Order: sequence, then structure tokens, then C-alpha cells
Amino acid sequence: MSAGGKMDCRVAAPLLVFLACDEVSAQERAALEEHLAACTECRELAQQEGQFHAELNALPQSADELDRSGTLLSQCRSELAETLDEMSIPAEPERWQPFGFVRRWMALRPGWSAAGLLAAGAVLGVQLLQWMPTNDSGLKGAAVNVSAAPKVSDEQLAKMAVAGINFAPGAGAAPGTLQVQLRAEQPVTLSGNLDDSDVRRVLTYMVKNGERFDAGLRLDCLEALKARVSDVEIREALLEAARQDPNPAVRMKALEALRDAVKEEDVRDALLESVQTDWNPGVRVEAVNLLVRSLELESASPAEAPAAGDAAEAAGPRSPAMPAIAPSAPVILTDADPSVLRVVRALEELQKHDPNRYVRLRSAAALRQIGTPEVR
Amino acid sequence: MPLPSWALALADNAGRSGGTDAVLATVTSLPELDERALVIEAQAGNRAAFEELVRRFDRDVLRLALNLMKRPEDARDVYQEAFLKVYRNLHRFRFECSFYTWLYRIVTNVCLDHLRRRQARPEDQAPEVRLNRQEDASQDFFEVQREHRPTLDPERRLMGKEIRTRLAKAMERLSPRERIVFEMKHYQGLKLRAIGDALGTTEETVKNSLFRATRKLRQELGELR
Repeated sequence: MSAGGKMDCRVAAPLLVFLACDEVSAQERAALEEHLAACTECRELAQQEGQFHAELNALPQSADELDRSGTLLSQCRSELAETLDEMSIPAEPERWQPFGFVRRWMALRPGWSAAGLLAAGAVLGVQLLQWMPTNDSGLKGAAVNVSAAPKVSDEQLAKMAVAGINFAPGAGAAPGTLQVQLRAEQPVTLSGNLDDSDVRRVLTYMVKNGERFDAGLRLDCLEALKARVSDVEIREALLEAARQDPNPAVRMKALEALRDAVKEEDVRDALLESVQTDWNPGVRVEAVNLLVRSLELESASPAEAPAAGDAAEAAGPRSPAMPAIAPSAPVILTDADPSVLRVVRALEELQKHDPNRYVRLRSAAALRQIGTPEVR
Repeated sequence: MPLPSWALALADNAGRSGGTDAVLATVTSLPELDERALVIEAQAGNRAAFEELVRRFDRDVLRLALNLMKRPEDARDVYQEAFLKVYRNLHRFRFECSFYTWLYRIVTNVCLDHLRRRQARPEDQAPEVRLNRQEDASQDFFEVQREHRPTLDPERRLMGKEIRTRLAKAMERLSPRERIVFEMKHYQGLKLRAIGDALGTTEETVKNSLFRATRKLRQELGELR
């Protein structure tokens, strides 16, 4: 290597790289130019370095090839904007939540939370009951029966079949509870007492339409209904059963159910009708018994009427074959009462013309009991 | 090769390219503001000002990332990561250097991280995109036409492609810092001092890196010459 200048080749060679890319100071450039003018080898090196640098710069850059259309730049801008949007969304400020720590604690321990809530509810309930006013005073007023709209329609009544009737007599004066199992399109069980309009409708319907239902069920109905014979609707049903039911046992039961209403005119008419027209002697005897009872009640004072009833009841259950006559004192009747006269006439007719001997005997006994002039 | 606009600004390390007051941002459209006013606006929480800053410099940022990473996916990651860092740390910028220098410091750091990661685990990396069009059977018609410009000597063009392929391989043998310095010097056209500022090192260190990078590349490409 020649050393024609101040700068040595060992110093100049490294600087040729920076000379090619214009990164030498003016002082270095001057020293290099002086050296290159004198040194052929370094001059060739500088030429190669410049050519290499020029070739590198002439090469297409990766960026030009990889994103010629600028699509990548657009994608980058779009992604950055989205990320900035997400970052700039303000976090929802935590709302004030009372007992937040309790809620977090409960959320993490559901079992303990449920047990704690149950215990707290029990304690609260017990404590509150002590402080709550009782409503007993409000219940002392007269009870008001509110009749709901009937649940059993007429169509259902016409199509229904009854599977059974369960009757549980009430304790003391309380009304008994009835359970009527209906087999309609959908099986229905009616439960309640005679205050229940549906129960009453079903029972009276069964009594009035005796041909559709079993005689045993009809007897059960009569047994249930006799407790409310004072009710006009029920009494009408009983009267209809006493007149028209095909089964004599049911007719007799219907008359028995009317026992407490024999003073009523319509009941007496029905009794007279039975005495005169019913083909069954047992029914006629029962009608005679009830007519006598009606007359006894007629002559007795209102206060004594229940006693007379009780006396007749105490005589024991009556049967068509062996009707029992209460050994009460003869009833003194006045001739002026036309209804009594109708009864007497009917009994006299029965005594003379009834085909059944027992009925005739019973009529004669009845006439003696009521103390008609003829009998005396 | 024309220098990017921000490269010239990097040379002016004062960071004050204009006297526009930030207050003017309220009455002046953002593209008309200089970078200092824009930075102040962005620091005040003006999202539009920040986006204007991004639009001014992101083309060169992506270019650098593409040249360094050679893979669009990696370049996109660098772009996102770098600008998100700028967004998060903008309030710390105190105008002690130009915004460009500060931005490039972030970008080069992100690139260095990616390159070091790639060197540490080369098996996890997808191969770099080779720019040798001869090997690409499905090249675009217009790309082929562009290669047949009469000014280009076919032999020279062939040699250029060969050099490019060898250069890409040779670049992989450089250290991340040498690679960045070489790229910033030759392809971004930055002065060594600006590169030193961006990398947070001295000009002398950058000089050494550039020298070593050039030596290595010349050794790799020497056979073609």
C-alpha cells in the first residue's frame, strides 16, 4: 500500500464506507481525497465502496414490494383506531351499592347465604307476629255469605254422572261437609256444605231428576238436604222428589226430609197428594204420620212444637211396615180450620177405602189421635 | 432517494418547527398545525390531534418496520405496538428532543424487541417474504411488464435480483442493532446522529455498527461482484 499523503491507508480504508454514504466530516473528506489521489489501491476500494452503496440504494426496498398498494397501511390505521376506541371507552363507574360486601360474600357462598336468609326470615316472622294486631274483634260481626258465580254450568249438570257422595255431619250446630264426585267431561270433586251454591245445585238437580241417578245416591242427597228444608229451593226439590221419584223408598225419604216443614201449606198439599195418589202403602203411611204431626204442631204452641217433634223422634225410627205413633194427647181441632178439615177428610177417605188394611188401620189411629168428632 | 419529510425534521433536533400556539388549534384545522402544537393538543386529550400525528408519520414507521421485519404481519404488529406506546406515554414527552426522534426511539425499540425475539426463537417464526420474483410463478402481469422497461439491462436486472436475494440472507446474519442501523441509514436516509438519537446511543456507536454491517454484507455479496 502506498502512503503518498498524510493519511495512512489503515486509517483511510475504514473511512471509505462513510465516504460512500456521505458521513465524513469536511476535514476527513479533505484528508481522504488527498490520500485517494495518491493511492491507487484505496481509490479502487473507494470506487467499489461507492458502487456497492449505489447498488444497495438502487435495490427496491421491502416496503415497496410488501405494501405497494398501501393496503397494509390502511389496515394498520384502521386497527389502531379500533384499539384507541376501545381504550377510550370510559369504564362504567361503579354505582353505589349498599351492603355491597354482603352481596359479594353471599354470591361466593350460596349455601350459607340461603341458610342465613331462612333463619333471618324465621326470626323476623316470629318477632313481627307478636306486634301485629289480631283481627279477632273484626270477626265478631255478622257473617256475610258471598255466593260466587256457579262453577257448574247447566250443560255440565245435564251431562254429569255422580260417582259418589260423602257426607260428614258437622259437630253440633255446624253444617256438615259434603264431597260430591262428579264424572263430567273432566272429573270434578265438589266439596263444601249446603251453603255452597254448587253443592246445592248438584244435590237438588239429582233429587229432581231421579231417573238419571242411582237410588242410593238420591237417598244420600235427601239425607244431606233435609237439614235445610227451610230453604225454598231445597223444599221444592224435596216436594218434587216426594211426588215424582220412581223409587218409593226415595219418596218416603223425601217425605221424611220434609218432616220439619210440615206446617207449610205446600208441604201439606204434597202430603195429601201422596196419601191420595201414591201407589205405595208405605209412602201413604208415612204421609199419614206427617199429616198427624202437622196437625199436632198446628194445635201446639210455638214453644211446644219442638218438644212434640222430639217426642215423635224419641219413639224410634219409623218404617212403612210398622209406623210408630207418638202416644201424645189427642189433638183438639176446631172445625173452622179448612186445612185441617181437608186432612181429616183425606184420612177418613183413607180409613174407608184404602186397599191396604194397614193403611186403613193407621188412618183410623190417626183420626183418633187428632180427636175428630167422628172418631169420638 | 428523496428523504421523508420527518427525516429532515429529525436533523433539526430542536423540535420546534413552527411558532404556532396550541391555542390556535381551536381555530385552525389540525392538518395545518405543526407537530409541536399537535403534540400539545394530543397531550391535552385531543384524539383527532393524535390521529393527525399518526397520519403524518405512520407511513415512514410502517416502511421502516416492513424493511426490518420483511413480513407484513410483523410490521403490522410493530406499527400497532409502537403507536399504542406513543399514545400511552405521550403525556411524558417533554419536548427535550423532537417528536420524530422520540417516536423513532419507540419504533426502533419495538423493532429491536421483535428482531431479538425472532433471533432467540427462529423456529417460531414464519419465513421472511422473499422478493425474488423469478421464483414466484404466480406473479402479476403488470409486475412482469414493469420488469421489461427498456432502460433496464436484462443482465443487470438479473444480477440485481441475485444481489437482492443474497442481501436478504446476509441481512439475517446481522445483529438486530446492525440491521436497524443499516436500514435506517441506507433505506431511510437518516444521518448517523439522528440514528443515534433514535436508538438512544452515540453517533460513534452507530458508526461502528454501520461499519460492521457493511463489512459483513460485502463479504456475503463479494462473490457476486
